[in-house]
Order: sequence, then C-alpha cells, then structure tokens
Amino acid sequence: MQFLYSGLTSGSIYGLVALGFNIIYNTTGIINFAQGEFVMFGGMLIYTFFTIFHVPFAIALPVTVLGSFIIGALFERIFVNFCKYKTEINLFTITLAASIILRDVAMHAWGRDSVKVDDYIPIANLKMPGGVISSQSVLIIIVSLLVAWGLNLFLKRSKYGKAMRACFDDQTAAETCGISVRNVRIIAFGVASFMAGVAGVLISPITFVTYDDGIMIGLKGFCAAILGGMGNFWAAVAGGLMLGIFESFSASIIPSGYKDAMAFFVILLILFVKPDGLFGKKRAHRV
Amino acid sequence: MLEVKSLSVSYGAVAALMNVSVHVAEGEFVSLIGSNGAGKTTLLNSIMNIIGHSKGTVTFKGKEITKLNTPKIVKGGMAIVPEGRRIFSNMTVKENLEMGGFTRPAHEVKEKLEQMYDMFPVLGERHDQTAGMLSGGEQQMLAIGRALMTSPKMLLMDEPSMGLAPLVIKEVYEKLKLLASTGLTILLVEQNATMALKYAQRGYVLENGRIILQGKASELLGDNEVKRAYLGKEYKEKWER
Ligand SMILES: Nc1ncnc2c1ncn2[C@@H]1O[C@H](COP(=O)(O)OP(=O)(O)OP(=O)(O)O)[C@@H](O)[C@H]1O
Ligand SMILES: [Mg+2]
Repeated sequence: MQFLYSGLTSGSIYGLVALGFNIIYNTTGIINFAQGEFVMFGGMLIYTFFTIFHVPFAIALPVTVLGSFIIGALFERIFVNFCKYKTEINLFTITLAASIILRDVAMHAWGRDSVKVDDYIPIANLKMPGGVISSQSVLIIIVSLLVAWGLNLFLKRSKYGKAMRACFDDQTAAETCGISVRNVRIIAFGVASFMAGVAGVLISPITFVTYDDGIMIGLKGFCAAILGGMGNFWAAVAGGLMLGIFESFSASIIPSGYKDAMAFFVILLILFVKPDGLFGKKRAHRV
Repeated sequence: MLEVKSLSVSYGAVAALMNVSVHVAEGEFVSLIGSNGAGKTTLLNSIMNIIGHSKGTVTFKGKEITKLNTPKIVKGGMAIVPEGRRIFSNMTVKENLEMGGFTRPAHEVKEKLEQMYDMFPVLGERHDQTAGMLSGGEQQMLAIGRALMTSPKMLLMDEPSMGLAPLVIKEVYEKLKLLASTGLTILLVEQNATMALKYAQRGYVLENGRIILQGKASELLGDNEVKRAYLGKEYKEKWER
C-alpha cells in the first residue's frame, strides 16, 4: 500500500503536466516540449517570492500561478507566433529549442544549484491502511485533483473553455463562429503553463528545484499523456496516476536506478500495443 | 450588399478562380451553380478569408473586407454554412449554437437560442445530445442554426443538399426561403442546379473557375446550355443511382 501512496503523489504531478500537454496538443496540434520548463519556472517563482523575499504564501501563490499563465502566453507570442510555416516539424523544433533557452535563462537567473522551498504546511505523517502518507502528499493529491476538476469545469461551462473545445473539433469552423483561434492558442499556452506552475509549486518543497528539472518532469508528463491517450482530459489525469503508481511499484521489484527508465518502458509498450493510449479514442481527421 | 470584383485564387500553381465577379443586392437570394471542382467552395471560402486570394476585392455593406480575418468578417454580419457542415461533433447541440453566438452578448444568445429551437424544433428536442450523433439533415439544420446565431445580415451556403435525401433537401430549402422572406440576404452555391435555381431570384454559372453565365434564375433554368451541362447531368446521375 505504501507504494500506492507515493505513486499517487508523483502520479498527480504527472497528471497535471500531462493535462498541459493535452490542452496545447488539442488546440494547436503542437507537442510542447517546454512543458517541463514551465513546471521548473513555477518552482523557481515560488522560491523567489516565498523563500527569498518572504512574501506571505497567500500572496506568493497567486502571483506565481498568474506569472506562470503569463509565461505560457508570452511563450506562445514569442516562440510559436513568429513561426512562419506552422508545420508539425517546425513547431516541434521550436518548442524544443525554446525549452533549452528557458533552461539556460533559469540557470543564469537562479544558478546551477538546487534550491529548497520552505514547506507550506506543517509536516506530519498520517496513518493510512497499510502505510503512512505525509501531509505534503495529501496536499499534492488534493490540489491536483481540484485543479483538474476546475479545468474540466472551465472547459465545460465557460465561454472561452467551450471555444477551446470548439477549436479541438474544427478550427476553421470555430473561426466562422467569430472565435479567434489565435486568442484561443494564447489561452491554451497560458492554461497549460498555469497547470505546470501549480505542479511546480506543489513539488518544490519535497524535491528541491534545479534549473534542469524540466527535462525529466516534462518527459514523464508526456509519457503520462501518451499513456492515457491524447485528446481526453480525464485520461491524462488517469495516465499520470497510473504512471506514478507503476513507477513506484516497479521500484520495489527492480533496482531503483531503473525507476526513471520505467516511464519510457511503459511508453514503448503503449506505442507498440495500443497506440491511441489506454483511454484514447481515434480522433477523426478531416482530409 | 456583397460585391466581389475580379477575384482570382490559386492553390500553388493551380488556378481555381479567374477574374470572378459576383454581386448580391440586399435581400436577394442568389444561387451560383457549377459542377464538381468548378471553384464554388473556393469562392465562398475566399469571401470569408478562410483562404487567401491573389487578386481582386470583396466589398460588404459598402466596406472593403478583403483583408479582414474571418472572425472580423463574421462580426461584421456575414456568416457561412461551410461545405460538409463542419459542426463541432464532440459538443452538444446547444453548445454548437452557443458557439455561433460567441461574439454576441449573453442575453442575445439566450433569446436567439429560443428562436432557433422554434425554427428547428428537432434541435430543441436534441439540445443535450452530442452533435456528432445527429443525422445528416439534422446536422445541416444545426449548421444553419449555428450560422444564424452570429446574427448575420448575409448568409453564404455551401452545398446544403450534399448527401441528403430529396425530402430533407426540400425541407432545408423551405427554411432558407423562410429566412429570405425575413430579409436575410443569401448567396448559395450548389451542384444541384434545379433546386438552387428554383428557390433563387438570380443565378450564376461557374465553370472551371470562370463565370460563364448569369441571369434571372427562371431564365437560367430554361437555358439550353444549363440544361445540357447541369440539369441533364443531374438527371443522368439520378438515373445511375
Ligand atoms: N486545398 C486545395 N489544394 C489544392 N487544390 C485545391 C484545394 N482545394 C480545391 N482545390 C482545387 O481547386 C478547384 C476548385 O475546388 P472547389 O473545392 O472550390 O470546387 P467546388 O466547386 O466547391 O467543388 P465541389 O462541388 O466538389 O465541392 C478544384 O480543381 C480543386 O481540385
Ligand atoms: Mg465545394
């Protein structure tokens, strides 16, 4: 059971990152390889405000997640917008290049060393059936699920959320409704970065933050998105949780040095056996 | 109301429209007919600036809209029911209509929704259903409803009869007739020449990217050239079916 608890914790983080991949992919067809860097920036921002400048958490948190949203929106304006021919391979290259640039920027801004963010809540171990779970883990799981649920509401209820879904379905038709696909794309990047920022804030007191954290967390989130199946939001969350649990269970049977490799093993397996993901349905493509 | 002046469009090296000029007066119902690949969809899409054009101007309500992007043109009062309907198939019927009202204030959307349900009762009955589950005819009604939600002064229709049974086609055209009688300006493009010309006041014939004939719809219906090229072919197609 202990593995389940630690798996759920890392899994909810993967889920948040996977949601970001999903939102951007569905609105724009882009796999955004800077998604992990957005997580790292979330961690660095909260570190800067909360730990360095001692801004009260109640202010530091909203500033950080809002900052994350703006970083995402600017990312779209700067890197994606100026791409003249928005083919998949061009955009892929751009987000990859941008992720390396962001990493270097972070290295110069915050240095090469890991930074530790102060705890947000008192640390305690809660007794659970078959093991213990830390208060931090509970916080991570609850907040992640709340954010995922909030995103779901946003997409189902709000005008711009619905417009995003319309763009998933058919961008040209969306434009004929007066929806600016450009604005939707900016919002998509903003929301994806917001989700990543929340993930960054949540994990930084536990794992420390380093400028190059984005690589691994981004890839894991990507694996989770593929595992669940692109194009389905709850599948991204489920994919994240499953990947987390799988990772932590596998750590109990095989040497823990292989833990990171497990995620990629899962991805290969999925791509070989069920390329649309566990819960994915084939998206109809118009020719 | 709409004035298209010597419009030329090409896809790469392939010229799809050459010097096409079309005008539609306020309140008019105009049909443009042409066979497969004549350039009908290209014309409507470039009016809406869904695809760019190389030469020519488009003027709408006295204002040039040639360089405006699609959402701006929609806000300006022109709507399109695109070829193949292109409804948002993963969204509900109601959400599809709401998206049509994206640029309109909330209270107006609410009012218009009721109007749409009155006009197309089937949409009201199915408002909570996923749009992709609707039949072809229902989807066409939804596509029209979605376009009307933008509160247009003018409606562009791309092949409303495509893939529909004759009875359903008639129903669609009756709705268009009703809309025209309320003052909506309509430009419709079709392969189905008989229907399109029967309901229109004026017509154009497009062939290989050029306008080759124009005139009163009733005259075009009686024109030997049109009969040979379009009506005849249709009869033959019907025969083959
Ligand atoms: N995206 C495209 N790329 C290249 N050529 C195209 C493209 N779309 C259309 N064409 C070509 O332009 C010409 C006009 O096409 P268009 O779709 O406008 O015809 P249409 O009159 O609407 O035909 P249909 O009745 O089949 O809908 C055709 O020769 C077609 O092959
Ligand atoms: Mg066509």
